[in-house]
Amino acid sequence: MDLDELTDVEPRGVDRAALLRRVAAGGAALSVPALLSAGDAFAAPAAPAGSTGKYPNHPKWKFVFVNHVTTNPFFVPTQYGAADAGTIVNCTFQWTGSQKADVGEMLNAFNAAISAKADGIAVCVVDAKAFEAPIKRALSKGIPVVSYNADGARAGTKARMAYIGQALYESGFAMGERIATLVPKGDVALFIATPGALNIQPRIDGALAAIKQSGKPINAKAVATDADLSKELTAIDSYYLGHKNLKGMFAVDAGDTQGIGQIIQKHSLRGKVIGGGYDLLPGTLKLIDQGFLSFTIDQQPYLQGFVPMLQLFHYKLSGGLLAPSDTNTGLLFVTKANVKPYLTTKTRYEGSASAQKYPVS
Amino acid sequence: MAVAEATNREQRRAGLGWRVAAAFLQRREASIFVVAVALVVFFWAKNSVFVDSDNIKNVSESMAPIALVAVGEVMLLICGEIDLAVGRVFALAPAMVWVLSAPDQHNLPIWVGVILALLVSAGVGLVNGVITTYLRVPSFITTLGMLFFLNGITLNLTDGSQQFMPGGETFQNIFGSQPEHYALWLNSEFFWALVLMAAVQFILTWTRWGLHTVATGGNPVGAAEAGVNIRRVKIGNFVLANVLAGFAGILDSTRVTTIVPLQGGPDLMFLAVAGAVIGGTSLFGGVGTVVGGFIGVGVIIILRTGLNIIGVNAFNFDLIIGLAILASMIANVQVARLRNLGKLQ
Repeated sequence: MDLDELTDVEPRGVDRAALLRRVAAGGAALSVPALLSAGDAFAAPAAPAGSTGKYPNHPKWKFVFVNHVTTNPFFVPTQYGAADAGTIVNCTFQWTGSQKADVGEMLNAFNAAISAKADGIAVCVVDAKAFEAPIKRALSKGIPVVSYNADGARAGTKARMAYIGQALYESGFAMGERIATLVPKGDVALFIATPGALNIQPRIDGALAAIKQSGKPINAKAVATDADLSKELTAIDSYYLGHKNLKGMFAVDAGDTQGIGQIIQKHSLRGKVIGGGYDLLPGTLKLIDQGFLSFTIDQQPYLQGFVPMLQLFHYKLSGGLLAPSDTNTGLLFVTKANVKPYLTTKTRYEGSASAQKYPVS
Repeated sequence: MAVAEATNREQRRAGLGWRVAAAFLQRREASIFVVAVALVVFFWAKNSVFVDSDNIKNVSESMAPIALVAVGEVMLLICGEIDLAVGRVFALAPAMVWVLSAPDQHNLPIWVGVILALLVSAGVGLVNGVITTYLRVPSFITTLGMLFFLNGITLNLTDGSQQFMPGGETFQNIFGSQPEHYALWLNSEFFWALVLMAAVQFILTWTRWGLHTVATGGNPVGAAEAGVNIRRVKIGNFVLANVLAGFAGILDSTRVTTIVPLQGGPDLMFLAVAGAVIGGTSLFGGVGTVVGGFIGVGVIIILRTGLNIIGVNAFNFDLIIGLAILASMIANVQVARLRNLGKLQ
């Protein structure tokens, strides 16, 4: 594809390049006024009103993403996804919330978004009750709200309009089924960083249910570790040392998954103890390639930013006719067979590069 | 007429405006108050919704628990100590309430749970105080140990999982917030903080206990020789700080409706200490103001909420808040220097 063609496809290519530069330099701006205006600049190019596609002219809507771990590398591709969707439909977004799953801080950010009359809110509902009242309040003021990545209590009605993310219980169930085929019998440990946290607890519930349903003589036990990577590693190591008859170690969060692989590597347990878990930390991918971990599950965080932006946009553009709908961002098992492209590709979709390019590799 | 009178007086003595300014600046809370007002005006100008009742409620809700912790921390700082573990008591107290009063736990009446949880908080303060004063371990180390110890207890109590705060609607209305009645400007959590802040400032300014607290931090040897029971003062302030932190935790869990075992923690403690210090309390003891600490916490929360409202991304929050703390500290130290030089008399 030559440059002219590119320009044809992408009439605002220059703006987009500027956007990418800004995204890359997001942390480099130093003066306070620059930072204050960078709030807008971070997410969207300084483009005239209107959209890249054949959409009618519309206000440049601003959507707020309330996250529970704003600085966690897992959500870097989510922010890229939101920024890219914003470029396509000419909207902006704000990335805010808490750094360490402090519900009070998240509520503060959520309420501030309502006060600031945000055009839409996407929120990680990591608490079963606390977000329901604020979500209802936002909806009553005409602000559409979707949840992403975490969706609150598993049962019961929920105030949010739709959930965009992995079907958490189902993904855990699928992992449990896989565990039952990989480890037909014996002791199995399931590690979880923060028990009860609604972005990971449903997975472990699902896994335990599937293992039980398989009817095989597997003795599965949930083990709590920590949200901090190095503490997780220590916790897994000591658990293994105390339970050397383990046949399998699995995890429902990113840090623990990598930790399991490292412990299997440390004690040369390849083939003796089966390991697996979630998410695409670089260490996890390498450990899969080397055979220390059997699988990891990709929940495609890019889509968890991209899809909420598009859905909120369409809700606004259609005047509410096009309601946000539940979207499963996937359940993809990454194994030794298909891990290669993850390792060799530096891409915005996995957060390993900030530039958007085609072809990706 | 008052104006004419003022003008007359102005001719006789130094300019009235200058004297008012000087009297104002002599107050320790002055500089932080100016910063708070400036920030409100700044965010108001940026986005008028900042002064909407909704947002005022949001700010007051967020600052109340931290301000309560800061109130206790100010008293400790004044008498020359610090408590790093108050953020853990903030999680422990509501966890105790849950264990004692949740229907699927011991199912005791909620007030029994709250009172026992506050007694446990007081006990933590007592232990901190006794170790610090009688076993002569610096409070920094004592409470550092307590910080980990209490977290372990809370994690065990709650099975490391988030739990629902017990208590019925009346309890929620008195101690938490009223998300359904958002027309109110403020909320009960903030009123609790306001009343307790005023009470502790009263103790500091008007009672013998306050006098002894200042003396203990300002000149321990002199105070002891003058007959102040330094140990009792310090232990008492440890107890006060921990009861306030435990109460703040119960209030906040009631508002949020959930107890998270890792809530509060060192982050909350550092925010409270930062608020106390930018509010004019010295880290070296002997000097401080409860009202200043309250406003100091207000400044931090105004910044955080304001940045949210004008749409700054989370990556830049810490950057700006860090700069703000540095700037207000520099201002504070310099104003204090001028005051001591007598230029503001």
